[in-house]
Amino acid sequence: MTAEKIETTQPESTELASKKYHKRSAFVAIWNRLKKNKGAILGLFILIIVTLLAIFAPVIYSYETDVIEQNVTNRLKPPSAEHWCGTDDLGRDILARIVFGARYSLAIGVVSVIISLIFGVTFGAAAGYVGGAFEDVIMRITDIFSSIPSILMAIAIVSALGKSTFNLMVAVGVSSTPTFVRVARAAVLSVRGEEYVESARAIGMRDWKIILVHILPNCVSQIIVQATLRVAQAIIASAGLSFLGLGVPAPAPEWGSMLSAGRAYIRNSSYLTIFPGLAIMITVLSLNLIGDGLRDAIDPKLKR
Amino acid sequence: MTIKNDDYIFDIEGLNVRYETEDGTVYAVNGLDLKLGYKKTLGLVGETGAGKTTTALAMLRLVPSPPGVVDCKKLEICGQDIRALSAQKLEEVRGKDISMIFQDPMTALNPVFRVVDQIAESLEIHEHLSRSDAQEKAKELLEMVGISRSRANEFAHQFSGGMKQRVVIAIALACNPKLIIADEPTTALDVTIQAQVLDLMKDLKEKHDTSMIMITHDLGIVAEVCDEVAVMYTGRVVEQGTLEDIFERTMHPYTEGLFNSLPNIADRQAMLKPIRGLMPDPTEQPKGCPFASRCDYASPECESEHPVLRYVSDTHKVACSAYDRQPDFLLERRKTR
Amino acid sequence: MHRYIFKRLLMLIPVLLGVVFIIFFIMDLAPGDPVYMVAGDQATEEELDALREQLGLSGNIFTRYFRYVNNMLHGDFGTSFVTKRDVFKTYMERLPNTIRLASLAMIIAIVVSIPLGIIAAVHQNSLKDTASMVLSLLGLSMPNFWLGLLLILVFSLRLGWLPSGGYTGFRSIILPALTVASGLAALLTRTTRSSMLDVIRQDYLRTARSKGVTERKVINKHALCNALIPIITVFGIQFSNVLGGSALAETVFSWPGVGRLVVDAINQRDIPTVTGALVMTTMLVSIVNLVVDIVYAYVDPRIKAQYTK
Repeated sequence: MTAEKIETTQPESTELASKKYHKRSAFVAIWNRLKKNKGAILGLFILIIVTLLAIFAPVIYSYETDVIEQNVTNRLKPPSAEHWCGTDDLGRDILARIVFGARYSLAIGVVSVIISLIFGVTFGAAAGYVGGAFEDVIMRITDIFSSIPSILMAIAIVSALGKSTFNLMVAVGVSSTPTFVRVARAAVLSVRGEEYVESARAIGMRDWKIILVHILPNCVSQIIVQATLRVAQAIIASAGLSFLGLGVPAPAPEWGSMLSAGRAYIRNSSYLTIFPGLAIMITVLSLNLIGDGLRDAIDPKLKR
Repeated sequence: MTIKNDDYIFDIEGLNVRYETEDGTVYAVNGLDLKLGYKKTLGLVGETGAGKTTTALAMLRLVPSPPGVVDCKKLEICGQDIRALSAQKLEEVRGKDISMIFQDPMTALNPVFRVVDQIAESLEIHEHLSRSDAQEKAKELLEMVGISRSRANEFAHQFSGGMKQRVVIAIALACNPKLIIADEPTTALDVTIQAQVLDLMKDLKEKHDTSMIMITHDLGIVAEVCDEVAVMYTGRVVEQGTLEDIFERTMHPYTEGLFNSLPNIADRQAMLKPIRGLMPDPTEQPKGCPFASRCDYASPECESEHPVLRYVSDTHKVACSAYDRQPDFLLERRKTR
Repeated sequence: MHRYIFKRLLMLIPVLLGVVFIIFFIMDLAPGDPVYMVAGDQATEEELDALREQLGLSGNIFTRYFRYVNNMLHGDFGTSFVTKRDVFKTYMERLPNTIRLASLAMIIAIVVSIPLGIIAAVHQNSLKDTASMVLSLLGLSMPNFWLGLLLILVFSLRLGWLPSGGYTGFRSIILPALTVASGLAALLTRTTRSSMLDVIRQDYLRTARSKGVTERKVINKHALCNALIPIITVFGIQFSNVLGGSALAETVFSWPGVGRLVVDAINQRDIPTVTGALVMTTMLVSIVNLVVDIVYAYVDPRIKAQYTK
């Protein structure tokens, strides 16, 4: 009976099928728990608004006339009905620049995390799955990378590659890669011994396919939580680099560079400093709320 | 022989404990009455979830709150009204007058403190010993429970399960308490170690004239160490009496069910008769007898009337309305004897 | 235990060699030949070659790497392109300022976060808990350089209580230290809370209570000693971020520390200074992490036992 059975077993045996079913219902359960978390819903709400503003920024404001064009007669105007957040030292509407800035911050945050996801998950999953000397080498390299303070490393990378938006993404992405190597490796290790992985190997499935089809989907939730929280960190990091003059070049309205430019006028025109910083904080806060909520929803045992 | 006098080590009336959680309220203990004479050992018997541990925790006011809510008509231990004690007084009573041996020795010891310090701590608090005197006394206690004093400075993770349980016992006995509540002290241990630990507890109890509550679901342990037995079901005492009352003159169908679930060495051909069904949902409070749905003797009236715990002899109490309806009602177990 | 420390010190060597290589590699990506920066436009080809040799810029990346490591072992981290001063000396002049700033920030963070986290955990789901969680979430979401700007705005410009920058005695360190402390305090508050919540449910606390230990001591001794283990871990990991974060705070407050040294050096394309400062900072981080691991082993007897065997 057994010999026949093994030959005819398809990857979609009942056990695997039930696992898949189980997974779908798990996502529903996660969403149901997430819905009850007021903080996460608030975060989601804020993030959707910020994202919509970023997408429809060109509909609300004209990049050329509102965001870039200098207007000396209008410089350093405090918040008013016409300019809700005031105008900067070159007479540009701060709110318009903040709204356009959302495009930079979100894009930099997301792309840099995608960069670190690609490298981190690949190396981390491979290390966890292969084990042995390969794993040791990967983890030692990760240790080396993570012992360099990440902001300083990002600073070094941007300065070496040159100031541009993409280089900023690379710098922030590379400096947060070690986290994902660790998370992905730990996640793979936790499911590697599971029976459905063993059975996939027993029927001769290729390693990369096992990782892709069976292991990664089961680690996805942990990786998503980390990614959400990391986007938040990446937005702060990229704003920090821009603040140091190492980020998106002028005249583009990046929040960190706006803070840097507004610094000189902090005594009399503090709105130049307050509003872009608020924008960063609110966006980052929303991501942190979502990340925390997701983590609690995925593992209710951890709910504090 | 009788315990109908005022010399009670503890006297509990109308104890209710419920846990209020997001998913509903769990009624853990419901109107429990319990008392015990000095120097006696009471066996508190019942299935998992019957409210035995919660009762014990309530006696020390250790029910975690939230989610726990406790109310009680009377809670006197060693002549003190435990309910009325200030936090400070309560801390003086805990460990000094009443101490508790916990169920799981694996988790009951603090992993980052030396074993000797965990025992010495009680002595420093209650006997006001200096640190070095307390340590010395703690080492004596370790020897008393059969652990070499050379291991006093080790940590819990270096001990086996049986040794940890001995340490837990040493902690409980440190200040010669008047009442020891032992919550399944042997469940987590191997059978051979179980016997050793039980013997140890019996000896120590006799040496120090301590009263004891032995919480267990093992009737064998009850027969070995207890003077009296209270059978708990869904947070109530359903039958209580002397050891003979419960073993020889069983009256409650649930108690009978517990006996029937035990293998009988004399008649190995006999089928085990486990109690059918499961304990009712503790989030609901049944209108009638909580055991009715599982009871072989149940009549329709049992579903609606709540049985009251009544004396049937000087020492024996039972909560079953069958005896009210037919005074000559007798369980199967009694008939065959 | 000594063997463990020795082993860890030994393991530090390959990590540091790797760090130097990575930093070397990154700096090598920079376009253009740095020798022009030093020599100016008028130099002849021979002069440039001689200068390259002198500055350690000749040869491929591996030759230069080994030469650098070799010099490094003799305490020579090169000479600044800009100031022509010894990089090691410059770094060591700046380091005490950063250490002062980082230490005060860490002390502030610990003093604030551990009690706050304990209170939040002990009164879980109460108003106190919610308030401290909202506060720490805000702290975590706020870029610290922005907080620094706000502190300047309020405490030096509006109220005039504290200086807005520079290094002029104790008063001038308060605002930068608060700035650096904010993120760490927020994270440690959250860690303390969740770690305490874990511990509070443990049976051994019930054992302690049943012995008659006062509630205060149950929390501050029995629970905290166990909860400290993850807190120390997070603290160790965050030390690197404290040093990194102080680079921004130092810029905001014109604080003459190593963070600003790196930022200034990068803006001036002063490669020896950048490389040297990054290498030495990373060494510092690694050593601190080693110390944290040792402390960790002392707090948790289970780990200590593992290594002494």
